[in-house]
Amino acid sequence: MNIDVKDVRQVFSLRNGSEVVALEGFSHRFKSGQFTCILGPSGCGKSTLAQIVGGIEPATQGSVKIESEDRSSAPVPLGSDSVMVWQNQNLFPWRTILENVTFGLQMAGVSRAEREQKATRLINSVGLRGFEKHFPSQLSGGMRQRAALARALIMDRPILLMDEPFGALDAQTKIVMQEELLKIFEETRKTVIFVTHSIDEAILLGDQVIVMTARPGKIKEVITVDLPRPRSFDLVNTPDFGRLFDKAFHLIRDEVTKAMAEMNLVGAPS
Amino acid sequence: MRERSKTTWMERVLPTLSVIGFLIVWQLFVDIRQIPTIYLPSPLAIAKSFVSMTEDGSIFFHLSVTVLRIFAGFLVAAFAGIVMGLLMGMSRLFERVADPWIAALYPLPKISLIPLLIIWLGTGESYKIVISAVTAFFPIAMSTFAGVRQVDPGLIKAARDLGANPAQVQLNVVLPASIPSIFSGLQLGMGVAIILVVAAEMIGSSGQGGMGFLLINAGQVMDTERVFASLIVLTLMGAFIIKGQQWLDHKLAPWASFR
Repeated sequence: MNIDVKDVRQVFSLRNGSEVVALEGFSHRFKSGQFTCILGPSGCGKSTLAQIVGGIEPATQGSVKIESEDRSSAPVPLGSDSVMVWQNQNLFPWRTILENVTFGLQMAGVSRAEREQKATRLINSVGLRGFEKHFPSQLSGGMRQRAALARALIMDRPILLMDEPFGALDAQTKIVMQEELLKIFEETRKTVIFVTHSIDEAILLGDQVIVMTARPGKIKEVITVDLPRPRSFDLVNTPDFGRLFDKAFHLIRDEVTKAMAEMNLVGAPS
Repeated sequence: MRERSKTTWMERVLPTLSVIGFLIVWQLFVDIRQIPTIYLPSPLAIAKSFVSMTEDGSIFFHLSVTVLRIFAGFLVAAFAGIVMGLLMGMSRLFERVADPWIAALYPLPKISLIPLLIIWLGTGESYKIVISAVTAFFPIAMSTFAGVRQVDPGLIKAARDLGANPAQVQLNVVLPASIPSIFSGLQLGMGVAIILVVAAEMIGSSGQGGMGFLLINAGQVMDTERVFASLIVLTLMGAFIIKGQQWLDHKLAPWASFR
């Protein structure tokens, strides 16, 4: 499914009455079956964009259209074709891993036997076999993120939105999770929007990297990552990877400096 | 390793020793200084009084009457308080309507309602259950309300994203997420229910018995041994109820204690 985002603008009203423009004139066509990374400094509205595409937050202005070739009937509400994986996982602490993974199917009225069978298969495939009866608080951050991934994948929706899912993980766990995500992408070929502030993560995973400006977030440049798939972490040592990294790094360095300057300004007493 | 296990051994034995030591000092103090029983009975005298109350069965009668009243008041308060707290948390309109009533009645010392309740209900069972239920209602309702309001909005967003409709979100996210707050409200409620039942039994309860009645009665005839024995029974009763409640909370929501 293609995702056509046109002129999206997002404005947040602060408590003191002032307004912050998070996104400004964002237009992009996310192609079906492509892995697109959105790379930008903190506060550039990249998470906001993922939430708008996922129908979790409405955009102040602009439109998001999900195009499906095989759907002739009335359009479905935004969000029903996508599912989000959150940075802090948002697992339900009172549900076991199995119960977390089956949540979406349970809400949809799928029978217990069927949803548990599907969930068990997914739990095995993300490497959580034997932890079905554990509560999220009993697992490490990496394992919780695997559970969150399984909970999203069980919905079997064509669009996968990922909002800095590995941002809070330690370096080694992060590499393992990135490789696992590459494997899952290879198997499922979903349309993925992956939000990150890590340059090497964006290049390692994405077919395209959208580099964002500092607030208000606009597209600075779209980098095409023409590295072959299937990929693995060994890719980071290749010259092609280094070339793309340098390109993205130079684009983003100015923006990070700007974002930091603005944060100092916001943080300063007025 | 040896150092460690030695510490745990000390930690296990010392609390018991401190109680035994305290009782021995108390007994010796009363015996040597010849303190009149009416002021301070010795532990042995209190124990004798306790044994005589178990032999004639009176302690079991009074204790069970009090426990029944506590649970009756508590259960009424728990049901009403949880329903009230959930409605306030889930409906803005309901919260607005309830707010002035809660603001006015919450800080009122509920014990000051006793004269009015005796005029309306007499000094029978209903008065004692109502006063403990009214008192326990507020902490339960307030904790439930706070629990509903403090649900992590991320969990609600995630549930909606996974296809839950508004009613499913309330039932499957807001309600379970509030359970730790509800349980702590129930513990506070149980504490005040115990206090209010015993207090109510002390005031105008001549016919119906109960631990409060037993205490005030023993005090009026200067039977200090019986006062002490009743106090100890009352302490143990409170401890059993609260510990039992904590155990039950853990059984019902094991995930809450992992956090």
